[in-house]
Amino acid sequence: MVLRRLFVTLIAAALATAALHASDDLPSILISRQLSESEHLDIGDVVRLSAGEAGSAVQQFRVAGVYEPTPNPARLGAVIREVQLHLPDLLKLTREAGTPAGSEYVQTINVALVDPRDADAFSRDVQARMPGVQAQPATGAAESTGPFLVLRRFHLAIAIVTIVASTVFLLALTIMLVDERRAAVGVLRLIGLPIRRIIVQLFIEGALIATVGSLFGLVLSLVSEGLINRFFQWRYDTALTFVRVTPEVAATCVAIAVPLGVSATVVASWALLRRNGLRLVRR
Amino acid sequence: MNAMGFAWRSLVRQPARASLGVLGVAAVGALLFDMLLLSQGLVISMRGLLERTGFDLRVTATDALPGSGPLIPDAVADARAIATLPSVRSAIALRFANAVVLDGSARGLYTSFQGVEGTATHPWTILQGRDIGGGAEVVINENAATRLHAGPGARIMLRASCTNEEQALPPVAFTVAGIAQFPFDTLNGTTVAASLAQLGEACGGNESSEADVIMVASQESAGPDAAVADVAKLLPGLRVLSNAEAVNRFERGGFTYFRQISTVLTTVTLAFAVLLITVLLTVSINQRLGEIAALRALGFSRWRVVADVFCESVLIVGGGGLLSLPLGGLLAVGLDGILKRIPGIPADVHFFVFQPSALQLHLLLLAATAVIAALYPIRIVARLPIAATLRDEVVG
Repeated sequence: MVLRRLFVTLIAAALATAALHASDDLPSILISRQLSESEHLDIGDVVRLSAGEAGSAVQQFRVAGVYEPTPNPARLGAVIREVQLHLPDLLKLTREAGTPAGSEYVQTINVALVDPRDADAFSRDVQARMPGVQAQPATGAAESTGPFLVLRRFHLAIAIVTIVASTVFLLALTIMLVDERRAAVGVLRLIGLPIRRIIVQLFIEGALIATVGSLFGLVLSLVSEGLINRFFQWRYDTALTFVRVTPEVAATCVAIAVPLGVSATVVASWALLRRNGLRLVRR
Repeated sequence: MNAMGFAWRSLVRQPARASLGVLGVAAVGALLFDMLLLSQGLVISMRGLLERTGFDLRVTATDALPGSGPLIPDAVADARAIATLPSVRSAIALRFANAVVLDGSARGLYTSFQGVEGTATHPWTILQGRDIGGGAEVVINENAATRLHAGPGARIMLRASCTNEEQALPPVAFTVAGIAQFPFDTLNGTTVAASLAQLGEACGGNESSEADVIMVASQESAGPDAAVADVAKLLPGLRVLSNAEAVNRFERGGFTYFRQISTVLTTVTLAFAVLLITVLLTVSINQRLGEIAALRALGFSRWRVVADVFCESVLIVGGGGLLSLPLGGLLAVGLDGILKRIPGIPADVHFFVFQPSALQLHLLLLAATAVIAALYPIRIVARLPIAATLRDEVVG
C-alpha cells in the first residue's frame, strides 16, 4: 500500500523534474523498469516522494538505477511500479509526526546464511528462540504455497487427459500400421520364423519408433518452451518463466512415451500374430 | 446407398480402429470443451456472484480492492447520503477485519470479521436462528459454527485485529444470533459478522464510522449507470464501480492466466486432433486404394468417393464430439474441484461454467476439424488414377 501511495505522488513529481535543482548529496533510490518506462524516468533524474496521498512531507531523491523486478507469480498481471529506498530513508519518509525514530517495525528480514544448506535448521532455531516470528527457508517457499500446489495438480490432471487421448490414437494408428504389414508378417510366418522372433522384431521396431518420436517431442517442447515463455512474458510484462523443460521433466516424458509406444505396437501386433500364416497372406 | 450410409459401413467393417478413433476424438474433444468453459468461466461466475448479492455498485476510498485499501472515513454518513439519492434503492457500509475467537485452544480460531451498517438488508442469508439485532450480537458461517461447536444463543469471546499492525486489543463477548451464508465465503473459511458499531467497539472504539466499502443497490427504474453517475457526483473523492466495471477489472487482473492457458491448450488440442484424424483417415484410405479404384471403375463418381471420405471424417469426429460432451462435463467437475482449492477463492465461484456460446464454439471447432482433417485424404482419392491403381493391386 505504501508503494501505491508513493507512486501516486511520484507522477506529479516526475512532471516537475526538469525544474528541480538537484544536488549530489540527495539520497538515492532504485526504480522498477516499468515505472521508468511509464514515467520516462532515467538514471540521475531527481524525483520527489511523499508517503501521503495529499503529497505532504515531500522529500527529494535521485534515481541511482533501474532494476527488473524479481518475478513474482502472485503479482501476475499487475504493472509493477516500484521504488526501492534505503530502509532509513523509507522510515524517515513514512514516519508520522511525533513518532520517535527507532520505534518503527519492518515486515520481513531477509537473511543470507554462510551455508544455504543450514536454512531448515536455522529457521527452526529462530522459531524456537523467538515465538511469534515466522522463519521460512526461501528455497521451496513458492512451491509449498497453496496456489502453486493447486496449479501443479491442475496441469498434472490435464497432462493425464492428454496422455490418455494420445494413447488411444496411438493404439488406433499402430493397429492400422500393423494391419498394413499383414502380408509381410504372413510371409515371415510361412518361411518359418517363430512368433517369438517376429514379436522381438516388432518390439525393437516399436522401441525405435517410440524413442525417435519421444526425442522429436522433446525438441518440439524445447522450441515451444521458448515461444510460450516469450508470449506470456510479453503478455504480462514480466521476466517470470512459465514453462521450463527440466532434465527431470524430459526423463519423465521419455519414461512414459517409450513404454507406451512399445506397448501399443506389441498389443496391436498380438491379434495379428495369433492368426494362421496362410490367412495373413490371403488376399 | 448414400455417402453417409456407405461411410458408416466402412467404419463398422473395422470396429476396433473406428472405436479407437472415436474414443481419441472424444478424449481430445472433452479437453477442448473444458478449455472453452474455462476461458470465460471465472468471469461469468464472478459476475453471477456479484449480481446475486443484490448490490450493483461498490464505493471505495481508492482503486484498491475492498479490504486491501484505506478505509472510507465517514462511511456511515456517506452511505445514508447515498441512500437518499433518487437513483438509489439502498446502501450499506461494510468493513472487513480479522479476529481470533477464543475457543479454549492455544491459538484460538482465526476468522474474518465483518461489520455492516446501512439501509439495506444484510449481505448474507440466514440459515439458522435470526439476524443480528442492536446489541452485542454476531452471525457466523457454517464453518465457524462447526469448528466452534456454537449455534444460535451461544456466547463467544473474540479478539479483533483491525489494522495491519500488531495489536493487542481486549477480547469482547458476543452472542451468536444465527448461522448465515456469506456470498464470498471460501471453501474452508470462517466468517463472523456484526454491526459496524459493534465491530468498531471490538476494534478499540475509535473508528466506528469507517468502512472499507459502501455497497449500493440502484433503483430498477434508474439502472446502475445512473446510480454510478449520481454517487460520483455526490462523493467526488471516492471511487464508484458498477458490477460490470468490477468484472471488467477482474477480467484484466491476474486471473487472465486461465484464459491465456485455455487459449494455448485449445490451439494445441485442435492441432493435435487435426493431425491425428488426418493420419487415421490417410492410413485408412491408403489401405483401401484398390477398393476405391474398383468403386470408381464400377461407376462411382469422383465426387461420390470424395463424399464417402468426408462422411467418414464427419462420423468419427461427430461420434467423438458427442461423447466428448458428457466426458468433458465430468472432467470439468474434477478440474474445477482441483482449482477451487486455490486459497481465497469464494466457494460459489467456479472456473468451468457452462454457457451456450461455449457449446456452439465447441461444435464449430469440431466441424472445422472434420473438414480440415479430411482435406488430404480427399485429395488422395480425388486424384486416384483408376487403371494404374487397379493394375498395381493385381500385380501386387
